[in-house]
Amino acid sequence: MKNRRLKLAALFAVFAALEAPAYAYLDGATGSMLLQAAIGGIATWLMYSRMFAARVRGFFSRAPAEAEAADEAK
Amino acid sequence: MTAAAADRGSFRDPGSRIFSDGGRILRAIMPPAASAYEAARDSGLIADLVGRRSLLASEERDPACLGLEAAPAYVLEHPRLPFVSYPYEWGFALLRRAALHHLDVQLDALAAGFALSDASAYNIQFVGPRPVFIDHGSFRPYVEGEPWIGHRQFCMQFLNPLLLWSRRGVAANGWFRGSLEGIAPEELAPLLSWRDNLSWTVLTHVTGQAALQRRANSGRLNGGKARAPRLSRPAFEAILTGLRGFIARCRLRDEKTVWRDYAQDNSYAGAEAAAKRAFVAEMAAKVRPRLLFDFGCNSGDYARAALDAGAGSVVGFDADHGALERAVGRADAEALDFLPLWLDAANPSPAQGWAEAERKGLGERGRADALLALAFVHHLAIGRNVPLAMVVDWLVGMAPVGIVEFPPKSDPMVRRLLAARPDIFADYDEAAFLAAVGVRARLVRTRHLSPGGRLLAWYDRG
Repeated sequence: MKNRRLKLAALFAVFAALEAPAYAYLDGATGSMLLQAAIGGIATWLMYSRMFAARVRGFFSRAPAEAEAADEAK
Repeated sequence: MTAAAADRGSFRDPGSRIFSDGGRILRAIMPPAASAYEAARDSGLIADLVGRRSLLASEERDPACLGLEAAPAYVLEHPRLPFVSYPYEWGFALLRRAALHHLDVQLDALAAGFALSDASAYNIQFVGPRPVFIDHGSFRPYVEGEPWIGHRQFCMQFLNPLLLWSRRGVAANGWFRGSLEGIAPEELAPLLSWRDNLSWTVLTHVTGQAALQRRANSGRLNGGKARAPRLSRPAFEAILTGLRGFIARCRLRDEKTVWRDYAQDNSYAGAEAAAKRAFVAEMAAKVRPRLLFDFGCNSGDYARAALDAGAGSVVGFDADHGALERAVGRADAEALDFLPLWLDAANPSPAQGWAEAERKGLGERGRADALLALAFVHHLAIGRNVPLAMVVDWLVGMAPVGIVEFPPKSDPMVRRLLAARPDIFADYDEAAFLAAVGVRARLVRTRHLSPGGRLLAWYDRG
């Protein structure tokens, strides 16, 4: 519970000074806009980490035959 | 000039509205939205999505063909869908599928330099169990740094109902039907546990967003200088792919059980079932309905029989979510043009929304050419106290031809319904059933599945 409060407190610290406009014909809602501004950076970092982890896993999990074929092709 | 009628559910986007003209479906793109449409069309995005069957097909027509006073810049004609369904009629598998499809369209659009102007679940329709995006007016050029305008709507109409279902085990249909905009993060957040919040997606998109929205509503975020939150393109893409991964992993608590049951159901056999399938096949082969309704569709055994015999497409209805999940599994596995939807037949989807016309009632959307109501009438006539004649009246009114099954009081399933209550159903018998059908339609043929047992009645109003 304490951990969760800390995380939320960190989010609020980022959100506190932000203000959202309305876009197009659909009201985007302030909470949604501020949330995106706050989590965008972390989400990007998470996405690239996952892609990197998948590449590492892919490198080590190459099937032997596939690895041989790849080596022969070199 | 034609007599095209504006669709009463298509008014929120002034740039793009739907009209119907006889059986034709036409979309008017108004001048302020013309440049966005032209950009999406000329970039190849629309043709690419249509080619992959992600987006409903369209063809440009003469803009004057609608005869509108304020002339549209473009008029597009779309193929007519077999049936228009609403998100509150989808089971878990279909809602998850629709959510993933929306995100896929967003990601494809973003890759081509476009964004969607909303995230309405009503912009997804199903052809059989396959989702298709229908709103050509949603695409507009992406502006670097802009936030995801439809984020809150996506959460309310896709993510939150799925979370209610998968985390709390509560089907979202009733809530969604009563609240057409979906479930707000502020409404869902108090229902989630601290364990649910160990998920980054739940913590941010539900709990965090709810807290921020409450804060904004209380006026505590309104004092600062107005400035637009910036969301870089990689961050936009990361939020979309993060949600996509989370939703693809979203499961019902008993999903494995459901699939195991489907495999068992798949070997559905027995002499009575075979006789029923043959009777259904005979009707479907003779009538060849383009669209057939299957009330009480269960996992789709008889929908399959009708499709095999010549029905064009089948929309099934059932109130049992387990049966619906199995039916979707069957439609996928056997590549059937079969759309299983949630329906409490004693309280069918009403006309509702703005002016009670934005979302149509079941009867208004129903253009079925034939129907099946097998092992169905006793649930209404005995389970819900709807007089038998009224049940027959409603069913026969839904399609000009059909097969209705009557299980007598001696049937084990009817006995089960009567086990815990007094039998106040003096009019529930075969003679009364046949008389009720007879005053509304011609009886083409009847067949008993066993002596004194269930009766199948094939009626024809023509």
